[in-house]
Amino acid sequence: MSILEYLANGLVFSSIIVLSGVGLSLIYSIASFANFAHGDTMTVGAYGALVSFGAVGSMGGLLFGLPYGFYVALAAGALLAALVAVITQRLVYEPLEIGSIGLLITSIGIAFVYRALIQLGFGTDGRRYAVPAMRPVEWLVPVGIRITVQEIAIVAFAAVFVVALHLVLTRTLLGQMMRAMADDASLARVSGVRTSRIKLWTWVLGAGLAGAGGVFLGLYNQIEPRMGFNILLVVFAAVILGGIGSVYGAMLGGFLIGMVDQLMPVLGDIGIPIGTEYSYAVAFLIMVGVLLARPSGIAGTTER
Amino acid sequence: MTGDTNGTLGRREVLKGAGATGLVLTAGCVGSDEEPAETSTPESTVYEIGMVNSLTGSLADFGTYNKRGMELALESINEVGIDGGTLEIIVEDSESLPDAGVSAAQKLATQDQVPFVIGAVGSGVSTSIYESVIEGSDIVQLSQNSTSASLTDYPGLLRMSPPGGPQVQVLSDVIAEDGNGSVAVAWVNNDFGQSQRDGFLEAWGGEVAYESPHDQEQSSYSSVVAEMANSGADAWVFLTYQEQTALMLSDAFSNAYEAAFYGSDSAKGPSVLENTPSGSIEGMKTVEPSAAVDQANYQSFASRFEEAYGTAPTSWSSFAYDCVITAALSILTAEEFTGSALGGTVRGVTASPGTTVTTYAEAVEALDGGGPDAIDYDGVSGPIDFDENGDPVGAFQVFEVSDDEYTSLGTRSA
Repeated sequence: MSILEYLANGLVFSSIIVLSGVGLSLIYSIASFANFAHGDTMTVGAYGALVSFGAVGSMGGLLFGLPYGFYVALAAGALLAALVAVITQRLVYEPLEIGSIGLLITSIGIAFVYRALIQLGFGTDGRRYAVPAMRPVEWLVPVGIRITVQEIAIVAFAAVFVVALHLVLTRTLLGQMMRAMADDASLARVSGVRTSRIKLWTWVLGAGLAGAGGVFLGLYNQIEPRMGFNILLVVFAAVILGGIGSVYGAMLGGFLIGMVDQLMPVLGDIGIPIGTEYSYAVAFLIMVGVLLARPSGIAGTTER
Repeated sequence: MTGDTNGTLGRREVLKGAGATGLVLTAGCVGSDEEPAETSTPESTVYEIGMVNSLTGSLADFGTYNKRGMELALESINEVGIDGGTLEIIVEDSESLPDAGVSAAQKLATQDQVPFVIGAVGSGVSTSIYESVIEGSDIVQLSQNSTSASLTDYPGLLRMSPPGGPQVQVLSDVIAEDGNGSVAVAWVNNDFGQSQRDGFLEAWGGEVAYESPHDQEQSSYSSVVAEMANSGADAWVFLTYQEQTALMLSDAFSNAYEAAFYGSDSAKGPSVLENTPSGSIEGMKTVEPSAAVDQANYQSFASRFEEAYGTAPTSWSSFAYDCVITAALSILTAEEFTGSALGGTVRGVTASPGTTVTTYAEAVEALDGGGPDAIDYDGVSGPIDFDENGDPVGAFQVFEVSDDEYTSLGTRSA
């Protein structure tokens, strides 16, 4: 089996981590706390898409092996995740006058609340989206790559979202204000940036991306109440590896961690007896190694 | 303390009441069919044994089915009687926990002084009871539902439910009979997976192309599946749970990997069928401990069960049923109603030599005053035949997926 196969798997898994990671990093840099409810926000997105996909149906044809209705559901899931996050921010995080550690602990509680509500509504069983089951793209199989059109769609969409986010951050006034806030919130405020509105938009973008990541995770793996929480640790690893607070670092970190996770079989192939069950351990080891060399992460700024 | 005693007394009263009602009913029943006089005189002996069951706690589902199996067995026994006497069971709740189970067994041993205890459901509860109460006494303990390999280490602790070992043995036989030369084994990274894997690799005579553990709740199993495919094994064996099995099988489908699929009972379930593409696991075979579903005695047990409770019995309820019948037969063949006497007969009544019997009534008829070696009781759950470690020869059912449904290929034993 060629290494291309593992790389293809890694690319798909990385895409999901990147989508979730950039959202987490964005929220960290502007709302100034590590949001442990981020994983469960992904779950909210996945279930939002499940319900709306059930409601709109397939809507006729297929695009990238996915029914048109699925794209509507993807948008609905991302919107729901954003909405839930904004409501939480307004009702809980905003009024709480505690430091970032307090908010961090609060967000763990919020994560439990999200998950409990989902379990109440849907039970704990794993589900799948009613999309057609796919076989690998035929002309790629001889090259040694087995990837379905749906998996290619996941990668493509992640790329589109990441580029779009890049454009928002660099080319729009909103993006400039967001970056200004991330650099120095009080300076941004005295310069006339309406910080609470920017914060709101940050939550919308960050949670929306998480929601989309959740929908893709559900498509790639399965939809169940713990899905987001189970991947959260890896997402954190990716974000910290890249340099927490840096959106571009999160992209790179997510890509690396996803690849490491899926390239684990290579170790066995070349005679290093470390099984795939240790993939997270290896990923974290790499993270620690990078942090020892570069305490602020790959793309982190030094003062953070 | 007072409250506890009152509660216990209350329960015993209820049980006695229930027993008495049963007697009256039985008397009426027999009376209309045969000679009315003889069956149950007020002086008839009442044989009291104990049962530790999971009435509450995490295993309460098992407990409910156990209780039903026990009730049906009592009915079967007291219809015929034990040498003119009747059997009564004092049931105590283990709360599905070792501590509470030990207290329950302690109460049965010291207060009620029963010579025979059926218990318990959870493997940890059964071994705790054995270590703290039974070992060193002459009381016979027969677990109704424990399947952990750890019980095999206690030869004095009998059980009705077969351990996992013979199950993977049967699985290995099935895979070899299908002509597979090499296997790739994916096992779940915990005690359960480890013991299944150890048992399977011991039983398997062919090549092991791949065997590796995986954790639960992973966000991706692609690398495990890729490794299994890389190994080039003829057969893929899933010693894991439904969720992981379904995820790996879906992944195998979307990567167009081909192999023959096999699994233990934990890898079988409606969720596996639902969460894999239709037709993708056609021909997958699984093995699970099973009651002797193709035997007449099981079928009559199942229909009685359905009639009484409006639902089909589980294998677990058939184990509880056989526990009670086995206890009754060992009382019937023992010289006296003591633990040591029962300990001497309990193995003999379910094993050869002896006339093979499949119901309590048949056994009484075949015995005709003989000892434990005069009969070999084959229960509704299987042939029983306790081995030197107190484990039964389990019956196992092989299933194959065809047209997106599990169809039984019949039962077999290890």
